Amino acid sequence: MKRPGPLLTMLAGLLLGVFMLSLNATTGTKNVASTKKEPPPAASASPSPAKPAQSPSPSPTRTRVPVPNADYAGRTDDDSSAVAVAVHDGKAVAYFCDGRTKESWLKGDVKDDGSMRLTGKNGDSLTGTLKEGKRIRGTVDVAGGHYAFTADKAKKPGGLYRATATVRGAKVDGGWIVLPGGRQVGIVTRDEEPSAAPSIDPETGAVTVDGQQLTARPVTP
Amino acid sequence: MTVDPNAATQFFQPEPPRRASGAARYLIPALVAAAVAVALGVYGKVHDPAGTAFNLAGFSSTAAVKSWLATTAFFFALVQLVSAFMVYGKLPGPSWASTLHRWSGRIAFLVAVPVAVHCLYALGYQTYETRVLLHSILGCFFFGAFSAKMLLLRSERLPGWLLPLVGGLVFTALTVIWLTSALWFFRTFGVTT
Repeated sequence: MKRPGPLLTMLAGLLLGVFMLSLNATTGTKNVASTKKEPPPAASASPSPAKPAQSPSPSPTRTRVPVPNADYAGRTDDDSSAVAVAVHDGKAVAYFCDGRTKESWLKGDVKDDGSMRLTGKNGDSLTGTLKEGKRIRGTVDVAGGHYAFTADKAKKPGGLYRATATVRGAKVDGGWIVLPGGRQVGIVTRDEEPSAAPSIDPETGAVTVDGQQLTARPVTP
Repeated sequence: MTVDPNAATQFFQPEPPRRASGAARYLIPALVAAAVAVALGVYGKVHDPAGTAFNLAGFSSTAAVKSWLATTAFFFALVQLVSAFMVYGKLPGPSWASTLHRWSGRIAFLVAVPVAVHCLYALGYQTYETRVLLHSILGCFFFGAFSAKMLLLRSERLPGWLLPLVGGLVFTALTVIWLTSALWFFRTFGVTT
């Protein structure tokens, strides 16, 4: 004779877990259709079958949008700077940042074949190609420098974050690239004066700039 | 005074031990525990984290709700610790100490499950900080160790030190999990709901 109590406890926990998970999966799918959430479409294009299988209706993004929505983050070949690209609905925003003084925001369209040409202020430009949906390889021209880069598809919390605010009268604009592996490269510009950024909490985007608590949000084009 | 740990939670006379399943009594819980822990870790690693922004069954701020659920689980874990001492006669306790132990454990476990589901679904297994790495590892370990504890409870004639040891591991894991998540959250963002 064995006690059934412990087994029933485990079973109850398992059922509860599966129930919450299916609830999450359904909610996640609804969000894909109704709001501008980027991660679920990216997941549906990934080779892992786990999530699409749980969704009650298969996501249509794979057939309609050849370029999946995702964040890409990586470093320049000379290892001096970081580059992140956020792709959403055929548009892209990119951020180039050396973590000290040099940064640039660029934007533009992504063609169906995965190639992109993005432009920024002062003639800054980025050309790149999305290869196999996994990485973007390309070059950036920023402030007279020419850099080749590779940006791999970033899993949360990796990606591109931005926070803008006014702190004690100064206009503060911060950009952060969270690289695969969790390392961060960022610059905070106070009234056009760039400097190294304090690190953000990648889960919540919380960051303290000059004593003021800000929230850095994932960038979407 | 020595107390048989099984006697206190038992309403019936145990059967004489079956010798045939000697090794299996320890091997099965150990294997199940390893399988659970590894499965959770692999799921958290392979599954694309859905991000933190999603909303779930009326939860307003997921991080705050998770922190409170985790704190509830930790509170019941403390009840577990005290009631376990009562069951073993190390502390004076009421006759219903074993019932208290059983039900506080169930509540703690069931409260922890939604938190774990959200962690694994939305955030995944992450390693970018010591705190996060520790939390990821122990989160998986906790459910493995808990499974082992549950399965061991069903065996009779265990060495007297085994259940307290495994139970202590479960408690320690949950404590560190709570320290690295809920306490960190409350210290970083303030005690909010």
